[in-house]
Amino acid sequence: MASQTRPGELRFLDPAVIARLGTLELKARTIVEGFLTGLHRSPFKGFSVEFAEYRQYMPGDDLSSIDWKVYARSDRYYVKKFEEETNLQCYLLLDVSASMGYGRAGGTTKLEYGQMLAASLAYLMQRQRDAVSLTTFDDGIVSMLPPSARPGHLRALLVTLDRLRLGKKTDVSKPLHVLADGISRRGMVVLISDLLDDPERVVDGLRHFRFRGTDVVVFHLMDPDEVTFPFERASKFRDMEVGDELMAVPSVVRSAYLSELERVLEFYKRELGSMGVDYRFVNTSEPLEFALMSYFSNRSRFM
Amino acid sequence: MFGLSFLSPLFLAGIAAASIPIAIHLFYRRTEPVIEFAAMRYLRQAPVEHSRRRRLRELLLLALRVAALCLLAFAFARPYLAQSAAALSAPVTMVLVDTSVSMTAPGQFERAKTAAADAIRNAPAMHAVGLVTFGNAADVITPPSQDRAGALAAVDRLKPGAGATQYRAALARAAEAIGDRSGRFVVVTDLQLSGWDAVDEGSVPDRVSVDVADVGAPASNTAVTALRLEGTDAVALVRNYWDRPRRGQVAFSLDGKRFTSVPVDVPPGSSIEVRVSAEGRSRGVLAATVTDTEGYAADNTRYLVLDASHSPAVLAITATGQPVDVFYIERAVLVAEEAGGFRFRAIGGPAFSGLAPEALADVGAVLVLGTRGIDARGRDLLGGYVKSGGGLLVASGPDVDPKVLAEALAGIVPTLLEERATATPLRFAPADSRHPVFRLFGGVGTLANVTFDRAAAVRVSGTAEVIARYNDGTPALVEDRTTSGRILIFASDLNNRWNDFPVQPAFVPFVHETLRYLAAARAPRADYVVGDLPGAAGATPGSQQLAGAPVRRVAVNVDPRESDPARITADAFRAGITRLNAVAAQQARAQAREREDSQRLWQYGLLLMIVSLAAEGMVGRRLG
Repeated sequence: MASQTRPGELRFLDPAVIARLGTLELKARTIVEGFLTGLHRSPFKGFSVEFAEYRQYMPGDDLSSIDWKVYARSDRYYVKKFEEETNLQCYLLLDVSASMGYGRAGGTTKLEYGQMLAASLAYLMQRQRDAVSLTTFDDGIVSMLPPSARPGHLRALLVTLDRLRLGKKTDVSKPLHVLADGISRRGMVVLISDLLDDPERVVDGLRHFRFRGTDVVVFHLMDPDEVTFPFERASKFRDMEVGDELMAVPSVVRSAYLSELERVLEFYKRELGSMGVDYRFVNTSEPLEFALMSYFSNRSRFM
Repeated sequence: MFGLSFLSPLFLAGIAAASIPIAIHLFYRRTEPVIEFAAMRYLRQAPVEHSRRRRLRELLLLALRVAALCLLAFAFARPYLAQSAAALSAPVTMVLVDTSVSMTAPGQFERAKTAAADAIRNAPAMHAVGLVTFGNAADVITPPSQDRAGALAAVDRLKPGAGATQYRAALARAAEAIGDRSGRFVVVTDLQLSGWDAVDEGSVPDRVSVDVADVGAPASNTAVTALRLEGTDAVALVRNYWDRPRRGQVAFSLDGKRFTSVPVDVPPGSSIEVRVSAEGRSRGVLAATVTDTEGYAADNTRYLVLDASHSPAVLAITATGQPVDVFYIERAVLVAEEAGGFRFRAIGGPAFSGLAPEALADVGAVLVLGTRGIDARGRDLLGGYVKSGGGLLVASGPDVDPKVLAEALAGIVPTLLEERATATPLRFAPADSRHPVFRLFGGVGTLANVTFDRAAAVRVSGTAEVIARYNDGTPALVEDRTTSGRILIFASDLNNRWNDFPVQPAFVPFVHETLRYLAAARAPRADYVVGDLPGAAGATPGSQQLAGAPVRRVAVNVDPRESDPARITADAFRAGITRLNAVAAQQARAQAREREDSQRLWQYGLLLMIVSLAAEGMVGRRLG
């Protein structure tokens, strides 16, 4: 499953393909291992002092990590791998409101994408011995797993993710404020949501974390339909959360819709960027590796 | 003040087609796909349509479609704005007083004035009152108003006229005077039968009732219905309209001076001719008056003008214009210099060519005895004269060039002259002895003595008629007719050069009858009835002078139909008005068509329909 980089071959996995894999654990492993293998530069350099294993050199691995002694003995390149040790507490916040259930026909829903993203991140963190917490919310907190770095915690987290059901209306700010108050240690908050809420309130909730010194990564998930509004026929658009209907002719409303979307995205970029939040816009048709890459860039900064 | 009417209201049934979009709207609802969508927050910021607003828009769309269909039907129905019948002010009582000749019997007009005054006094209090008098024409004496005293005073001043009764003109004038108002016509009349014919125009609106105030008619009437001159005799036709014999006197006068009086005894319901000698009385106004104390006064006298100015003018075109070219004809014409004679003039071809067309306006007959000197202008002049109905006699003697004549009459008279060599002397005889030219001769008579040494040939066209032939069977006198004029072609000379006709006794009567026949078509009218001439001159019986060059005197007489006291009943009168309404309906339709044509509202209807369709397209596009 891991994607080895070969010329002319797709480097990333299609989220739709990943979604068809069996358990969430398998999905997470597939994503993370492939992702890590494909990176040109290992993210773990200098992370840990505890030896973990040897691994055959892969193009892209840091040359400094090659164990030249082993090379001398076996005439093969092996990379010495270490387990890192940190005391990071990572809080995964996953939006399970009804709007996350939207997905283009034949594609993944935002929730499925969010589940895979959260699982992958949890898997990664578990590998790094970070304590991971999972909180799901709609207009309030739906479930919450406290942070833990214990080996069995990942399974519990993945089971929780696997059992998620769509909730009600989105209210991002409310659970953010509750969580912000509950976090005692400095850590990292990863918010996975479609942010279909009042942008001011969302920003306000995230500001609460920044105020407490917590690093924040926001994965703003949007379905390609929501990004391009590709509909053609006059249709009734029913709100997935509140059920009210709007009659619209797509060709007439498209430009206004897109400009409003652009305005909101610009707002998030500007406001969240200004307060140091790592904002990542994620189109759910894009490979998950892109999102993971965002995480790592943040994680590196944190280290 | 205006109501909408339609020229073709049946097309309004097309409005029923508007039920189609309504039915579609009610029973066929298109179901749009429902898309469960998450990012409604952004969609709400777009100008989307909420269901309620969409329903309103659908209703607007429906209204536009219905409006387009209705406007189409509306345009096809040819709408126009008609003056509304409801736009009325006070109703009107119009009193129509007959002032024709048939109201001049003793006591008759006084009864009419009394009836008219009663009608005015008895008009409903709310009614405006108007007064119309009618004879051959109808005049509004007092327009509809509340001034009843003024109307009564006008009635008091009324006098009978000399015109003929024309009910239709009177009713039309009264209808015009009341405009769109409703009301009542009171027709004060003697119900004379002859008043219903003549002018076929005018109408009585349905909203007007018609009452008749019958003033009665005299038991008897005697009238001079015609007066004419026959030779030197004055002949008067006296008619008795009574069912008993009538005895009286017929007095003849000239310029107001009685010169004879003749007793008459007219059988019941008959006419007799009274003939007196008027020899030596060639000028002046002749009048014949019958004594009649019981009937209509105005028809007792008839006038006839004897002025020589009524003699037809004859213009002869000769080769040189010298008297010698036309010597015999001129002598023959001068014989008839008394009443019924001719005004004769002879000119040469060049002089004729120089005449203005107006100079031929009062010429009754043109004789062509020579074509020398007639240039192109002269030929056009001659052609135009014939075309305008003038009488033409061509004597095809040695001075007449058939080519010139053919050119002048090309396209007008197809009959042609040709050269002919006559070997043996010829004689001629009428082919049709009933023709006016030969009626006087009663057959061949003295015409048979005329010897022709030479003659021209006439190629007779299909439209021409041979009225005299030579004894070899060839045409001697041919008549060709245009739409209004008469053309005679004599196939020989009339100046004693090719024949001895001018020295024969038959020549003078032949010339007279021929010229009279030719000039009859253009003879100036000397006898008119009251109302034929405009202004006051035409309203009074007697003699009148007509302006022009020369000034003519004409006789103006009472219409003889007016002398007949035959009456209809009031019911028959009203039945006539019913027929009038049928005519009125046609006229109303014609007026409606004219009004619709001038207003062209259908164009606005179509324009609005196009606007509706354009709006429908825009709204529909927005609905998707």
